[in-house]
Amino acid sequence: MSDVITLAHGAGGKQTAELIDSVFKAHFANPEFTGDDAAILSLGGQDLAFTTDGFIVSPSDFPGGNIGKLSICGTVNDLSCMGAQPLYLACAFVIEEGLPMSDLERYAAAMEKTAAEAGVRIVAGDTKVAGKGQVDRLFITTTGIGRRLPGVRLSGTEAKPGDAVIVTGDIGRHGCTVLLSREQFGIDADVTSDCAPLWGTVKSMLGVTQDIHVIRDATRGGVGTVLYEIAAQSHVGIRLDRAAIPVAPAVSGVCGMLGLEPLYLACEGRLVVFAPQAQADAIVTALRQGPYSGNAAIIGTVTAEHAERVTIRTEIGAETILPPPGGELLPRIC
Amino acid sequence: MSIEKKDLARHIVTSYAGPKIRIMEVCGTHTHEIFRYGIRQLLPPAVDLISGPGCPVCVTPPGFIDEAIYLALEKGAVICTFGDLIRVPGSAQSLADARSRGAAVQVVYSQLDAVKYAAAHRDKEVVFLSVGFETTTPGACLAVLQARDEGITNFSLLTANKTMPQAYEALKDSADAFLYPGHVQAIMGTEICEKLKADGISGVVTGFTARELLTALAVVLTEFPKGKPFFKNCYPRVVTAAGSVSGQKLLSQVMEACDTEWRGLGVIPQSGLTLRPEFAAYDARVKFAVPPMDGRSNPACRCGDILRGDCRPPQCPLFGKVCTPEHPVGACMVSREGACSAYYQYGGLTL
Amino acid sequence: MCVGLPARVVEVKKGMALVDASGAKREVSASLLDELDPGDYVMVHAGVAIAKITASDEDESDEILEDLL
Repeated sequence: MSDVITLAHGAGGKQTAELIDSVFKAHFANPEFTGDDAAILSLGGQDLAFTTDGFIVSPSDFPGGNIGKLSICGTVNDLSCMGAQPLYLACAFVIEEGLPMSDLERYAAAMEKTAAEAGVRIVAGDTKVAGKGQVDRLFITTTGIGRRLPGVRLSGTEAKPGDAVIVTGDIGRHGCTVLLSREQFGIDADVTSDCAPLWGTVKSMLGVTQDIHVIRDATRGGVGTVLYEIAAQSHVGIRLDRAAIPVAPAVSGVCGMLGLEPLYLACEGRLVVFAPQAQADAIVTALRQGPYSGNAAIIGTVTAEHAERVTIRTEIGAETILPPPGGELLPRIC
Repeated sequence: MSIEKKDLARHIVTSYAGPKIRIMEVCGTHTHEIFRYGIRQLLPPAVDLISGPGCPVCVTPPGFIDEAIYLALEKGAVICTFGDLIRVPGSAQSLADARSRGAAVQVVYSQLDAVKYAAAHRDKEVVFLSVGFETTTPGACLAVLQARDEGITNFSLLTANKTMPQAYEALKDSADAFLYPGHVQAIMGTEICEKLKADGISGVVTGFTARELLTALAVVLTEFPKGKPFFKNCYPRVVTAAGSVSGQKLLSQVMEACDTEWRGLGVIPQSGLTLRPEFAAYDARVKFAVPPMDGRSNPACRCGDILRGDCRPPQCPLFGKVCTPEHPVGACMVSREGACSAYYQYGGLTL
Repeated sequence: MCVGLPARVVEVKKGMALVDASGAKREVSASLLDELDPGDYVMVHAGVAIAKITASDEDESDEILEDLL
């Protein structure tokens, strides 16, 4: 482990997991400490889901959303992935001195709108102002609590051989959008972030069947990172079909130019779902009626062999391994 | 014909029953795509596919990274680089490590973007880490000419550019046939390949899609058993016999040959390109009087043997133990297309 | 060593070409190619059009294999 924090520690891959294990878990370990998106706490006979998430996106405005909308979606989706209806949020702002008031107003309005859509109330908050240059415009942290639906048991450890692997929409749009918004690479494409609150999406699936094993939102690190996480947590293999993975053409074009793998581009409105094969078609049919999951697709299956590996059936019908998440996403020319 | 056209190449490759053959894909992007498509899984045991040195990142010696870090930390320069170089280990640290310690490192998609960055930040010295083969180097030449024409004086190159012909010569005993890198040959044309054939060295110019890779392999596996040296351009939709005349002119206008070190292979005479003396103002080594840096690799690292095809990644004592994609020791592990990284990430042939 | 992406030329001016690869657009240098017109396909590497593309990989592969047999 390196002796200073590097960007790779925040990329959501192996280094992030190492950091959590060696520092946070070492100090915080307790029976409720979770490897899932939210902890499940039993209080007064009810199962509550509880989680928190920090947002530092740069730029803070991008096609399809802004940091305000993102800060609500992130926490709402973490709760939703546990099968918990999001109820209340708290938010903390760290604001750089000099931020235009109108910008803050815009982010707050986006938070209000998204919270209303997700059916949550923002009930507490905190404001700090940092000196110029100490933060990049503003950082938002949201903390949320939700009530788990009775009978639902979702966890990253529950994927079973034979399960179908479903994504709720085309992948990598948020990561691609933010990458292009930084204008670092001079590439222009008509791509908007997939950023969306997904409680409705989860509810629609649980309305079809409660026999769903895992739901996880593919945020930083993208779908590929989630698949490797689940493969490890459930000790199973995952076999994908390259041709079945939905990717918008422009996202493919950007990835081709920069030598990136779309499976590792961040999403902020996409879920990865593991459910028994028998339920898969009905789940996908229901998803395709929803506002944020019109191009949901079955992209693979869970296997007993190749445990903790993600393999891919390629364009030419051969089998290969999806390279594990590699930390910081770097464009390459070779 | 019972086999559909589109499956013919694959059929020829999978049903090969000729003598044992070593095929070296010289280009790192070929290595990458071959793994990504799962083509290795299709090859019969008689076909040995060796990953050659054609990844500019893999062959960039640690001393080059040391020079870049020196420029960033000691001279306060902004380093502009292709993303590929960020994690390459220098003697003591990588650019990613240096960045955590305050070095300004900017990832760019093109050398021309580095000139733009310099134009927009006139108060800063901007150094572009110029690696690459004949495909990539014309872009560096264009960048220098653009900086000169626009009077941008805060831009310079730290060069480690390399040329392929000397490497083909150096590696000719390691393989029975080369898959020539399509995009190098797009600039340089195919004269060199014809010359190598006359010297008894076989190869085919190869494109990068699954169809193109399989077709090139099918051609090699059909020609090889005939026992005569062969050459075929299997990528004529991009590669012409003459190549890009403008590109070649540009290279000789701005750059000249020099001896250069290849990580693992040592110094190969006249296999590098550096700026001509009249462009010294854009040469970071001259501009900042960079002291000589020899760099030091881990002595147990077998990158050199791997690049020559003398050793497989799992045979290196460091592979997968101290040397992993997260903590690379040798450059073959750093680049995603490096032979070791590809073996590690795609699990070698274990599927 | 050289990630290349096929892209369609949308516009050419002053040694630069605007290219489009399935909706991803970027200005690239056209200095290495003598004649370039909108509608042409080029191979793009690190912001430079390094070659014109004259056929699809399928057609070309079919032709090469026909020669072979």
